[in-house]
Amino acid sequence: MAANFWTSSHFKQLLDQEEVDVVQALDKDRGITLEDFKLIKMHMANYILKLAQLVKVRQRVVATAITYMRRVYTRKSMTEYDPRLVTPTCLYLASKAEESTVQARLLVFYIKKIQSDEKYKYEIKHILEMEMKILEALDYYLVVFHPYRALSQLLQDAGLNDINMTQLTWGLVNDTYKMDLILVHPPYLIALACIYIASVLREKDTTAWFEELHVDMNVVKNISIEILDFYENHRMITEERIISALGKLPMKS
Amino acid sequence: MAVTAPGQLNVNESPSWGSRSVDCFEKLEQIGEGTYGQVYMARELKTGEIVALKKIRMDNEREGFPITAIREIKILKKLHHENVIKLKEIVTSPGPEKDEQGKPDGNKYKGGIYMVFEYMDHDLTGLADRPGMRFSVPQIKCYMRQLLTGLHYCHVNQVLHRDIKGSNLLIDNEGNLKLADFGLARSFSNDHNANLTNRVITLWYRPPELLLGSTKYGPAVDMWSVGCIFAELLHGKPIFPGKDEPEQLNKIFELCGAPDEVNWPGVSKIPWYNNFKPTRPMKRRLREVFRHFDRHALELLEKMLTLDPSQRISAKDALDAEYFWTDPLPCDPKSLPKYESSHEFQTKKKRQQQRQHEETAKRQKLQHPQHARLPPIQQSGQAHAQMRPVPNQPIHGSQQPVAAGPSHHFGKPRGPPGPGRYPGGNPPSGYNHSSRGGGQGGYGNTQYAQGRGAAPYGSGNMSGAGPRGGAGGGGGYGVGAPNYPQNGPYPGSSGTGRGSNVMGGNRNQQYGWQQQ
Repeated sequence: MAANFWTSSHFKQLLDQEEVDVVQALDKDRGITLEDFKLIKMHMANYILKLAQLVKVRQRVVATAITYMRRVYTRKSMTEYDPRLVTPTCLYLASKAEESTVQARLLVFYIKKIQSDEKYKYEIKHILEMEMKILEALDYYLVVFHPYRALSQLLQDAGLNDINMTQLTWGLVNDTYKMDLILVHPPYLIALACIYIASVLREKDTTAWFEELHVDMNVVKNISIEILDFYENHRMITEERIISALGKLPMKS
Repeated sequence: MAVTAPGQLNVNESPSWGSRSVDCFEKLEQIGEGTYGQVYMARELKTGEIVALKKIRMDNEREGFPITAIREIKILKKLHHENVIKLKEIVTSPGPEKDEQGKPDGNKYKGGIYMVFEYMDHDLTGLADRPGMRFSVPQIKCYMRQLLTGLHYCHVNQVLHRDIKGSNLLIDNEGNLKLADFGLARSFSNDHNANLTNRVITLWYRPPELLLGSTKYGPAVDMWSVGCIFAELLHGKPIFPGKDEPEQLNKIFELCGAPDEVNWPGVSKIPWYNNFKPTRPMKRRLREVFRHFDRHALELLEKMLTLDPSQRISAKDALDAEYFWTDPLPCDPKSLPKYESSHEFQTKKKRQQQRQHEETAKRQKLQHPQHARLPPIQQSGQAHAQMRPVPNQPIHGSQQPVAAGPSHHFGKPRGPPGPGRYPGGNPPSGYNHSSRGGGQGGYGNTQYAQGRGAAPYGSGNMSGAGPRGGAGGGGGYGVGAPNYPQNGPYPGSSGTGRGSNVMGGNRNQQYGWQQQ
């Protein structure tokens, strides 16, 4: 991707956590709480992943699609923009933007295959129509930076690029997309937080290496804590809780 | 944040996100038309600023928003440079639009989407094709330096343009040159591991590695195109006007020699090398053919038109070439002459008339000397005197830049002189990315031959003709620019200057190197 994150629209669009955690008025009216909001986004991130595995696209496309979806909901309500349609459409758009185009009919085919619930069943024309709305909601900013590239460079620099650490950190980065971190923090800090967690878990001494980086370790640690908190809470999330949150969404129009 | 009811758009306010309506602009005239969609010159109502609106055609209902438009938007949104066209914003039109026949516009979901660009007066090919136009050496250096600066910026930002050609280099009346039409561009990673399509770049400007089927390539592909343009500016006409891929490669080999494992290690492993391997030995003749070029120009050209992409000069190194740092130095863009552009979109009916006129003109062809571009005066000593278009040549003295009509090649009703220049009639068309159809201009294609009006936002895909108005015939432009003094714009008759002599007469003999 672009050489310079700091001049990118992604950097300029980074938000504060408080800005991300805003439930739109229309959604509030339907009783959707901040917790519901987060759960639905997490559920939809998983939905993107599931679809992506079927249509066979790279992790990068998944990450971009989830980022689009999360950006859309900083600006649009779930009431007007049904996540069950927005989600596959974000994957569709991301596949184009990341040069791994997936045909709309293929996507629709797999949606029908894995979703027995009527509420998920949208046709090609719905996806194409939503694509336009999403493009507009994103203000046509389609370039997203991800922690993956920084991750492999940093691991190499730290001399931690063995298979074990690579897989662990890569998995951690994947899991960060279940949260809104990508909207709030620069990707390299997310990568560093994942390395930090992994090195603690695997008891690697990285203190000296981190010191030499001249990054704000407080930010890295805060991101790490956020990730660990997420894992902690994640275990408590039941299927019923998600179904209840999704139940607050309006019926398919 | 502006709040509107669903389905409504902000017309007056500038929303913090989302897009404004096209109603914020007053369309002045259509200045291009093609496969990509129409292009309009328009005025922003609030500011009075003149812009170019390029409509994104949404007629592929099965796959939604065109990927070419996605690529272009994605890339232009992240490139900000004085030598790269500026995408100002994207606007939408609120209701379904109707085409000329009153049928609803292809997309039934939305009215239409327009990319709003800064307005540019000319494109390089159009400017070069103006009758009697002769670029000075400092002017060529100035354009080349801007081209390389813009391209270097793209490459640093890991963007390959993949369609560098004269009609995609827009020029304004301040002498600024900007890269446009990023519809084929894409991001690349430095490792060159990704497989990319080799069906890019207009044939005449396509490098040998793509013609040989390579799918792993990098910024060097753009540098080949730059070399072709550079040579074209110095030579006065395209240097590799192939009509299909095999002929294109052959033309390249005739000038640059045949590739082998010595001059291009690894070439024999490129997919189609064995299919196109020349049967006879071919020597590199570049220095010999272009021996009349300035020494530093030739030296730089040699490095750009290097067969092996890994040895080809980069944009950055090209900017450091002696050529740009020896007298005459590149001039200040602002010191360049201004040429008035006119934009007269003409209807199909008029185009029809145009063709009839051209037919008539063709019959009178023998009365008209053939037109060709004037290569610059190669003696550097004269160059400063050449700052204005051929001011010291009496035969061109009658030509006022303002009267010269369009400088966008696509709009030119006049054709290049006869079939000799563009064998095959329709050269670059059809060699591009499938979704784009024919040869592209700055902002898209046009199929409209325009009398005088032209714009940089399209390229001339006049039916059956090459993008430069191919089949029009030698006399064509007397018709398009009726105000022309008949004896004025035809440099072939002048015999003045070193360049003109070379360009006159029978071109099949002049450029014999391609036939030998």
